[in-house]
Amino acid sequence: MSFFDYHHFPIYSIMVLFLGAFLIVMFGKNKAVRNTIAFLAVSASLACMIALVKPVMLNGEIIAYWMGNRVPAGGYAIGIALEVDQLSLFFGLLIATAVFVSGVYSLQYMDRDDNVPQYYTLFLMLAGGVIGLVLSGDIFNMFIMVEILTFAAVALTAFRNKVYGALEAAFKYLVVGCIGSTCILTGIIMLYAQAHTLNFAQLAALIPGNMNNATKLAFALLYIGFSTKAFIVPFHPLAADAHGAAPASISVLISGVLTKSGIYGIIRLTYMLFQTMNLGSFQFLLVFVGSVSMFVCVTMALAQHDFKRLLAFHSISQIGYVLTAVGLCTGLGISAGLYHAMNHTLFKGLLFLAAGAVLHETGTTNLDELGGLSKKMPWTTALFLVGAFSISGLPPFNGFASKWMVYQATYQKAAETGNIGFLLVTIVALITSVLTLASFVKVSQSVFFGRLPAKYENVHEVKPGMIIAMSIFAILCVLTGLFPGFVTKNLTEPAANAVFSAVRYIDAMMGSGYAGSVMGDNLPVVSTVSFTQVGYWAPVSWLLILCIGLLAVTIAAVLGKYDRVSEARPENVDPKYDLFWGGEASEFSQVGGGDLFWGFKHNWRHYFGFMHDLHSGVVNDYSLWAIVALSLAVVFITIVL
Amino acid sequence: MIMFNYIASFFLIALGFYCIITKYNLVKTVIGLSIADYGVNLLIISVGYCEGGTAPIFTAGELTAASTFVDPIPQALTLTSIVIGACVTAMSLSLVMKLHESYGTLDTREIRRLRG
Amino acid sequence: MTMVLSALEYLGYILIFPGFLFCFFVGLLLAGIDRKIVAKMQKRVGPPILQPFYDFFKLCGKETIIPAAASKTTFLMAPLVGLAGLVVLQMFIPIHGWAAFSGTADIIVILYLLLIPAMATMLGGSASGSPYAGIGMSREMVTVISCELPLVLVLLAVGKVAGGDSVTFSFSVISDYQLANGSLILHPSLIPAAIAFLMIIPGETGNHPFDTAEAETEICEGLLAEYSGAPLGVFKLAHAVKLLTLSSLFVALFLGGVGTGIIVIDGIILVLISIVITILTVSLVHAITARLKIEQVFKYYWTVVSGLALISLVLAWYGL
Repeated sequence: MSFFDYHHFPIYSIMVLFLGAFLIVMFGKNKAVRNTIAFLAVSASLACMIALVKPVMLNGEIIAYWMGNRVPAGGYAIGIALEVDQLSLFFGLLIATAVFVSGVYSLQYMDRDDNVPQYYTLFLMLAGGVIGLVLSGDIFNMFIMVEILTFAAVALTAFRNKVYGALEAAFKYLVVGCIGSTCILTGIIMLYAQAHTLNFAQLAALIPGNMNNATKLAFALLYIGFSTKAFIVPFHPLAADAHGAAPASISVLISGVLTKSGIYGIIRLTYMLFQTMNLGSFQFLLVFVGSVSMFVCVTMALAQHDFKRLLAFHSISQIGYVLTAVGLCTGLGISAGLYHAMNHTLFKGLLFLAAGAVLHETGTTNLDELGGLSKKMPWTTALFLVGAFSISGLPPFNGFASKWMVYQATYQKAAETGNIGFLLVTIVALITSVLTLASFVKVSQSVFFGRLPAKYENVHEVKPGMIIAMSIFAILCVLTGLFPGFVTKNLTEPAANAVFSAVRYIDAMMGSGYAGSVMGDNLPVVSTVSFTQVGYWAPVSWLLILCIGLLAVTIAAVLGKYDRVSEARPENVDPKYDLFWGGEASEFSQVGGGDLFWGFKHNWRHYFGFMHDLHSGVVNDYSLWAIVALSLAVVFITIVL
Repeated sequence: MIMFNYIASFFLIALGFYCIITKYNLVKTVIGLSIADYGVNLLIISVGYCEGGTAPIFTAGELTAASTFVDPIPQALTLTSIVIGACVTAMSLSLVMKLHESYGTLDTREIRRLRG
Repeated sequence: MTMVLSALEYLGYILIFPGFLFCFFVGLLLAGIDRKIVAKMQKRVGPPILQPFYDFFKLCGKETIIPAAASKTTFLMAPLVGLAGLVVLQMFIPIHGWAAFSGTADIIVILYLLLIPAMATMLGGSASGSPYAGIGMSREMVTVISCELPLVLVLLAVGKVAGGDSVTFSFSVISDYQLANGSLILHPSLIPAAIAFLMIIPGETGNHPFDTAEAETEICEGLLAEYSGAPLGVFKLAHAVKLLTLSSLFVALFLGGVGTGIIVIDGIILVLISIVITILTVSLVHAITARLKIEQVFKYYWTVVSGLALISLVLAWYGL
């Protein structure tokens, strides 16, 4: 194999990031050198991922890469392996894109901080950790990567340690994250004790037919461990703390990338390693946890007063959509879930970068203090609106395409099983979506529109580098929204098929026929995966019609002297350009972020009060939730398996 | 005999978790994390143990079908795990120091600016 | 040649029927009838039925003042986007099995398209910088949330009945089902859903008693407080078109079996039914009720109306 053979690309994409981290420690004092190394590392990693699209996604090859070429001997995997199937590549591509954009954004975003070399070192280690996690074919390697990314994320959360609450957030994240890591390690060891291998594919062949109490406990431990990485309920308060305190470019990674690694872990665990997703009880578990996450977090978000904290809760709400869709165990469901995971990375990245731009220019993200920035930061406002429309699922942005698939999948599942519970999930998903819209209306009102406070008169637009980074996300948001057929056909459907073909995964790693010889009667039946939908949606033609309609309306309006507008100019300041007041002298008056939607909150005041008290901010409580969740998972899994 | 190791390791993990949940002092929380970590280390080592095994160090000629040795992989894993445990402790203690500087207390019930 | 012709045909759909011109005339007509009926019920003479047309053209001739605090682009574009969204929405709703653009959208898309005009109003008002608009926006959003739950339940119930065991979101399936089996309103389990949908119409259009978001007497028209001239006219027009849109949606969902198959006659039938629905759900309710408080609006929709829709959904689910 030559140096540029694509079989080497998975390891390159991990190595360049760690190598970059190392080089920045060595030579990072100089700003230009540092930026060049960081930029080259993230671009190279992204390029490796893109180069793998053709062989893996389109040609359907599964790359099994044995480090040092130590291939399995005598049916036992002794080497350390990377394995890239369509699912891994899907997440890898997503992560590499987010890392690349976040890296570009950091170049100018971090210019006012000190210790920037350390920032880049940790940044690249975090990125390398996540990509390593999704490409790894070895379960202990996965644990190592989980630890690397957790440490890097904790350190980066506390990076601006003068920020309100940053240290506290980092500590809480560290404690609960370590509980999660301990769970993962214990689970891995218990699996090792049963099967005497750490290779993922071999475990997937050996474990499902030989379940005993030890493997059940291991399953519960691993599930909880990856849940802490995905921040799903009950670990959502940590996400909110960590996202809010970290620099915006890191929030993008924590929200867009870390949570995805948790979801990836859960998919691998339930669909491949233990192959339990054909059980109704496991579908119930994931769908239930997903629905609770999506609803609880969206209501928590409605009550927030901080821009980034609000976004953080939305992050977990969207992860709830992903988990719900994945838990349905139908082709359409997984395809929808993965599509939403991708879109979540794009639009949430965009929103966090916009929040970062606001923070960079004004120095605060408090919704009650900001206002009227649209006149000062028009680009940021426009890009923010793209992100807000996407996450609220307004057509034709990408959030709509994937949420629409989630509704279809849950509704179809409800019809197939005749279970009214899944119907309830559809309703919860639809209501969550409109509540999401509500909280982004709140953000746009209290940050970008409304009145401009006097102290922000001198605010100006952010630098072009940051605008470019945001634009990349915005363009991807629009494109993936406009061509859902292309995305599903080339990205999510191959990945969804990969989820259902554990046998191919095992055989690619251990040699063809291995799965059949080991699993015998337990060999999972590879059913043909159906992606049919109960509705239809053609965004391009819709957009075309909307554009023509808008054009027609605009022309009609202009003919009707719509453009005869009069604006206040410095020389003609007439009182008629002032805002209308009920006769009083105009003081600064801005409807504060927290008080919007009073009519809604009033009816739910007991719920909101309860939730506020529940999220007490004491690390002991959050740890207690983790342990309770672990106990419940153990009980649940022991009962149903 | 090895059963005792397993019981002890899970007892240590549970003790660590108990410590994290019930103790309101940050340093004690860190200690709890470490205890849980030691429990896991003990578990890993116990998994690789086999009755009457020797250290897994052989030269090419020594290894015969009759030779018994403990599983070397868990030992390697334990080393990794110990290193990670040390990192956890170092990192969390440094955070505790910083927290004490800015909050003036180590009581978790007072370190809750971010809530709700 | 054929391409040019078909392009012209589609342009005709967008601009004339069932697009822009149709919406313009019928929408304003509905608004005029509404005002007249309310006046008659309150023993007033009331404006002529064509008054909304006069109002619209008068507003277009007036000066448009952009407040110093407003962000210009959003402030001016919002009314146009809202109107265009509604007109597009109108084109996806089938009229007795015929839709201008069939097979490009289903009822979930319609559900979201209904948010676009509300969103446009909110962003436009919010961009004006007025604190009245801030309050209006907050109330408008709560009204949207209120209507969303019953609307979702109604749509799911309809999808279940029309799709049978393989549920559907597709408009064409719903339409075909009604052409074959008669209107869905005759289906016993959907009667509560139809009533619930009629109750949603005044909330969605922001009419009495659910017009808390505008509330002239207390927050000076809220979102529209700073609007003047042509943009205000476009907002008023959009408000009128929304009456037509929701009536057509009701016809498509529940009265799909009524019609002849000749598009002109069906169009006239649609207009007539829309007038009836408008009088029934908007004018009568307007004349006899007083404005609710916003939290009452929310409570009403999430208990009474959602309850009705939920009954329907459960009945439909168990095949009654």
